[in-house]
Amino acid sequence: MTSLLAQIDSLGRFVTKNVEYTVRVFLMVYLSLRAAILDKAQGFRQIVGVLSSQIYFTGWQALPLISVLALGVGSVMILQSLSNLTLLGGTQMIGSFLIVMILREAGPLLVALVVIARSGTAVASEIGNMRANREIEALESMGINPLSFIVFPRVVGGVLSVLGLAFYFNAIALIGGFLVTRFFQDMSLTFYTDSLMKAFAKEDVLIFFLKNGFSGMIIFVVSCYQGLSVKRSPHEVPQVTTQAVVNSIIFVVIFNLMVSALFYLNQLRSLGVV
Amino acid sequence: MKIESLKFEGVTFTHEGQDPIVQNVEFDFPMNEILWVKAEEGAGKSSLLQILAGLQIPQSGKYLINGENVCDMSFEEFLPYRLQIGYSFDYGGLINNRSLFDNLMLPLLYHKVVSPEEAKARVEGLLKEFGAEKFAHDRPAHVPGRIRKLTCLLRALVMRPQILLLDDPSVGLGQDSIYAFVDHVHRLRKEGHCKHVFISSYDEKFMNLFEYQIIHLDEGQLYFQAVDPEKRVVHL
Repeated sequence: MTSLLAQIDSLGRFVTKNVEYTVRVFLMVYLSLRAAILDKAQGFRQIVGVLSSQIYFTGWQALPLISVLALGVGSVMILQSLSNLTLLGGTQMIGSFLIVMILREAGPLLVALVVIARSGTAVASEIGNMRANREIEALESMGINPLSFIVFPRVVGGVLSVLGLAFYFNAIALIGGFLVTRFFQDMSLTFYTDSLMKAFAKEDVLIFFLKNGFSGMIIFVVSCYQGLSVKRSPHEVPQVTTQAVVNSIIFVVIFNLMVSALFYLNQLRSLGVV
Repeated sequence: MKIESLKFEGVTFTHEGQDPIVQNVEFDFPMNEILWVKAEEGAGKSSLLQILAGLQIPQSGKYLINGENVCDMSFEEFLPYRLQIGYSFDYGGLINNRSLFDNLMLPLLYHKVVSPEEAKARVEGLLKEFGAEKFAHDRPAHVPGRIRKLTCLLRALVMRPQILLLDDPSVGLGQDSIYAFVDHVHRLRKEGHCKHVFISSYDEKFMNLFEYQIIHLDEGQLYFQAVDPEKRVVHL
């Protein structure tokens, strides 16, 4: 009985802790949005300055890594799907298969993981160090709201970067991957592009924006929150950076899974299966 | 906006898990004075200055500026008061990814207090006056600690506030910089700025360059001690 109560107690603590964390993160989003709207002093130039540097570091500088990853993933997926579909006599299905695997599933997840590894860590440690070095307090003392000056442009820049990177990833994986595999297979480009175009539906646009947009938001909101949670000491910075990575991965994976599950349930419902 | 009074009404402030810095304090701060905030080490002088700057919110009580309780105000509501308060940290506080010049320009440009040309002239003038112009375009990590400290002090002055809060201002400064800084504060006061100055310091020599009054922070309470400049013992 005592053991059961202890387990319930532990579960309760776990749930409360996570709910509290989520509420705090949402509160920060609300406050930074509010601060950005109400901040009359912050000019367009100030926002654009931070926003463009965020896009440069998160989007532009990640392009080489994303290119390699997209080419690799695209080539492997095309080769694997071709070899298996040819055996089953369903080569014309290649477009549908690639759209599902790359555009809907692998693309958003891989791009998010790259952005978490490169930029989520950078943002969490940068803001954590700013906190430890009292730069956040300094901004406040100058009448500059850190939420509108630091958090808001980073989140907006992050979301735009993730969307851009995801588009680039899909393009390179689908087109570049095909060109790389031309050495190993003899499918014509016209057949391939026709198959892709037929498979591409308007739901894919929705999934693209939903998954990538929210992944970007999750990564940068969580990273900013973790960075701001540093109290005083620089020794907390690596800890919050690790926590930012862990939380971002968990939230992004759960979110992606939820979107996929809801989408396929909806598809099954429209087909009358459920 | 003119700052005419600063008052604590039943103010209590505690850092988590520590003894109270101030406990149920009723205090009317003397205005138009240079106030030396004295206390034992770790008693909470920096926290007191941060409460006065609006950087820390007391757990209970009212902090009244011109009779208005600023503890309940949002960031935006407090902004007009904040722009009249210059605060200098005892350590750190410079924005590390900006040059010293940009650090000084930031509040002026952000709040559009003066035109960009005037802001540039003001900052260049300050850096020249303190002999720091050769470091102007370096980032804080690349300059000597003395220059970092000086820049932090100058940033508190650059907006020409009515209230000046200086936390251990003389620590890490060279003697020349100290004299130049004190002269600058005196000049600003003559011009009608920095009317209410609060300095926390252990440096009696530095404090003797001012005509100060004393506020003691002792066991969570504030006490005012008037100092007659004629009878002051000056150890130079």
